[in-house]
Amino acid sequence: MAVKYDLNEREVWDGNFAASQALRQAQVDVVVAYPITPSTPIVENYGSYVANGYIDGEFVMVESEHAAMSGCIGASAAGGRVSTATSSQGFALMAEVLYQASGMRLPIVLNVVNRALASPLNVRGDHADMYLGRDSGWIQMGAFNAQEAYDLALCAFKIAENHDVRLPVMVHQDGFITSHTAQNVYPMTDEAAINFVGEIDPVDDMLDFSRPVTYGAQTEEDWHFEHKAKQHKALMDSRPIIDEVYEEFAKLTGRKYNRVESYNMEDAEVVIVGLGTTVETARVAAEQLREEEGIKAGVVAIRCFRPFPFEDVRDALEGAKAVAVTDRSSPGGAMGAFFNEVSAALYTTESRPLVTNFIYGLGGRDFSIDEAKRIFKEQKAHADAGHITTDIQQFSGLRGPHLGYFQTKRG
Amino acid sequence: MQDLKLKANENRGLHQLESGKDLYGWDEVTQGSVLPSFEGDASKIAHLKAEERDYSNYNSYTATVASWRVKKPVFNIDVCIDCQNCWVWCPDSSILSRDKQMLGIDYDHCKGCEVCVEVCPTNPKSLLMFGENEDLETALSQWPEKKKKEK
Amino acid sequence: MAITSIKNLKEFSTNNDRFEGAHTLCPGCAHSMIVRELMNCTDDNLVISANTGCLEVSTAVYPFTSWDTSWIHIGFENAATSVTAAQVMHSVRKKKGTLKDNDAPVKFVAFGGDGSTFDIGFQWLSGAMERGHDFTYICLDNENYANTGGQRSSATPIGATTSTAQAGTHSYGKKEKKKDIVAIMAAHGAPYVAQLAPNKWKSMAKGFQKALETEGPCFINTVSPCCTEWKFDPKDTIGITDLATDSLMFPIYEIIDGHELNILYRPKNLLKVEDYLGAQGRYKHLFKPENKHVIEKIQSDIDKNWEMLQRREEARI
Repeated sequence: MAVKYDLNEREVWDGNFAASQALRQAQVDVVVAYPITPSTPIVENYGSYVANGYIDGEFVMVESEHAAMSGCIGASAAGGRVSTATSSQGFALMAEVLYQASGMRLPIVLNVVNRALASPLNVRGDHADMYLGRDSGWIQMGAFNAQEAYDLALCAFKIAENHDVRLPVMVHQDGFITSHTAQNVYPMTDEAAINFVGEIDPVDDMLDFSRPVTYGAQTEEDWHFEHKAKQHKALMDSRPIIDEVYEEFAKLTGRKYNRVESYNMEDAEVVIVGLGTTVETARVAAEQLREEEGIKAGVVAIRCFRPFPFEDVRDALEGAKAVAVTDRSSPGGAMGAFFNEVSAALYTTESRPLVTNFIYGLGGRDFSIDEAKRIFKEQKAHADAGHITTDIQQFSGLRGPHLGYFQTKRG
Repeated sequence: MQDLKLKANENRGLHQLESGKDLYGWDEVTQGSVLPSFEGDASKIAHLKAEERDYSNYNSYTATVASWRVKKPVFNIDVCIDCQNCWVWCPDSSILSRDKQMLGIDYDHCKGCEVCVEVCPTNPKSLLMFGENEDLETALSQWPEKKKKEK
Repeated sequence: MAITSIKNLKEFSTNNDRFEGAHTLCPGCAHSMIVRELMNCTDDNLVISANTGCLEVSTAVYPFTSWDTSWIHIGFENAATSVTAAQVMHSVRKKKGTLKDNDAPVKFVAFGGDGSTFDIGFQWLSGAMERGHDFTYICLDNENYANTGGQRSSATPIGATTSTAQAGTHSYGKKEKKKDIVAIMAAHGAPYVAQLAPNKWKSMAKGFQKALETEGPCFINTVSPCCTEWKFDPKDTIGITDLATDSLMFPIYEIIDGHELNILYRPKNLLKVEDYLGAQGRYKHLFKPENKHVIEKIQSDIDKNWEMLQRREEARI
């Protein structure tokens, strides 16, 4: 029986500590991990909970992130609750096995503390690692602060282990900005948390010897397509279940999450669409612009990056005139991936708002309220002109001459 | 008389490994491409002989590789000393041994590699290769005599 | 552990196979001989993992599995990791009482080919051995990447021709010596390490049982002659293995706790390595006059290795 961990109604935790407390409260059986900045404290803390008897589980420190996720797969196929954490290069090293975890439909929860990908080497937060996971078949949820890193990690187990889902889930938080910034967090009691998450009910349990199972069969051209289609459907079908879990969580805590979050969108004409901590900055900028200049600014945030909320993001943005989609990842010779996805959704609306793309904040470059305001004002100029008046893709917050690409053919 | 159908479950060798007709749609494939080996409770599987097991249709026991063979080993029970060399070295789990006795060959799973013939120590051998279409009686009627040791 | 009787082959043959036919390994492949023998050595439940390789691509091709036990394949390199993590999960669930049958005995075994063991999965294997998990790793050593058409691995012996270390007018094949994986694994301080061969079924069965019974990480390198890439007739698999063990190309021995070395088989009629090399197409070019020195080198390496093994056995170091 685990030793009781004393919690206050209000704690001051950083994002990493918050996530590790969620792992403790969810009574994760096995964590297989390899440390990498800035996610390391999550697994270190879990290890300390094991070492001090706060949890009846095992912490396995392996020799690489590839092995960490490989171990998570083996442990998860063995029927228990499994989680780990990583960032950046570690995430990249895991990439091969991320696809195996989802293909095998294993409910692993991976806490990703977002960090840039080298080269050049950088330990700060951007979304390059998160984007690397976008086709991996995992559910990807984004936390914008420490409270959410905690809340979503608890929700993640419940979603992943639901028998109608059975998919691994990533909970993302921004490196350092969220992971290392102490903030107020209101935790659930241990009892309420485990009651919410529930016990894991294993499926295709390798340790159920009354029903031996083979994991990882090879499928060639005659079967592979069918399996991937079934997996895609599971991911698409997880949307209402995610909504249900968010709903249930709200009843217990009063904190309601949505796959797409809208702020000041009732009458918004100009909008920033963002991921991660950027959302909170953009919200402050929008409020200030409304007060200072009467600009009807709003913010749309994607809580659930995968499955991509095509309909919800379209519904949220349909009434806007100009939309800036912000990509915190080097686009590598294309428009930002997030821009492309939001644009595709908006293309199917009658109103087809003007959409531009901002590449910003790479390698942890600060995204300031002033920068957000400038972006809003540019959107206002597009809206007033009735067409895009700048390059469609621009680098924002970059030193040196202006860098941007492509002009509109509309207007 | 040796019984070629001996010691088999009804579903042994039922499926071709590569067959168009057994394909089905995405809605029917197993979740996560996981394959259960048996139907029902398999807790005691190590203590059950093949013919006592409830193999699922996903178990390769229910498939056949007979078409791989051009030659087949034929077993002559009258010469066999039940040494079980063929059993231990058969790479295709195709030697049917029960209660320390060699009974015959599982032709659904035998690929005709000839290892069993090679490791058979009797004189003449109790296993010899014949054409795939040779019937048992004809094969047995052609069995060689005991060879004298060369000096 | 419920070990099965290996007193003689008749006793051994009363076991019920848990590795089924209609897998797609080549006719005469030694891999399945070794796998069958491992699975017949115990009545315990088994959780088996496999690295990518011939064994894996031939025994779990959707919609068929040849495994009557729990089995998992993830990638080329991580069988040691997946099965040991499953073993950790087993210990946690046993403690918590969440297993379907809390008392069911179980053993954890990983299989890898020499490519995955000596090369791409080396780090994963080393990590699992160092962490001291209770499992057995069995390398099916056919000295090349047979699954992808016979490329060199670091287990390929000097002088063999492979598709990526070819013999030709200016080359005698692979130039480098085989990596001594047994010594490396013993150096991890593993409680039981051995090199075994399927022709010596009894010593192999005994070794497998010792590994399964021993608590902690055990490693066994098994010689697995590959008719396809070594180029010999499938029926000769056991005969070739006899030549391998009797020429001491593959000496059979065990190392306990990293230091106690026991030779498990001493050939009565020691063969020259030519007999072994000459029986396989992959060494054919070595018999040209200009390559004679390579055969001499192989023989001298074998002699030195045998001398070393005997001395270590005597010295108990």
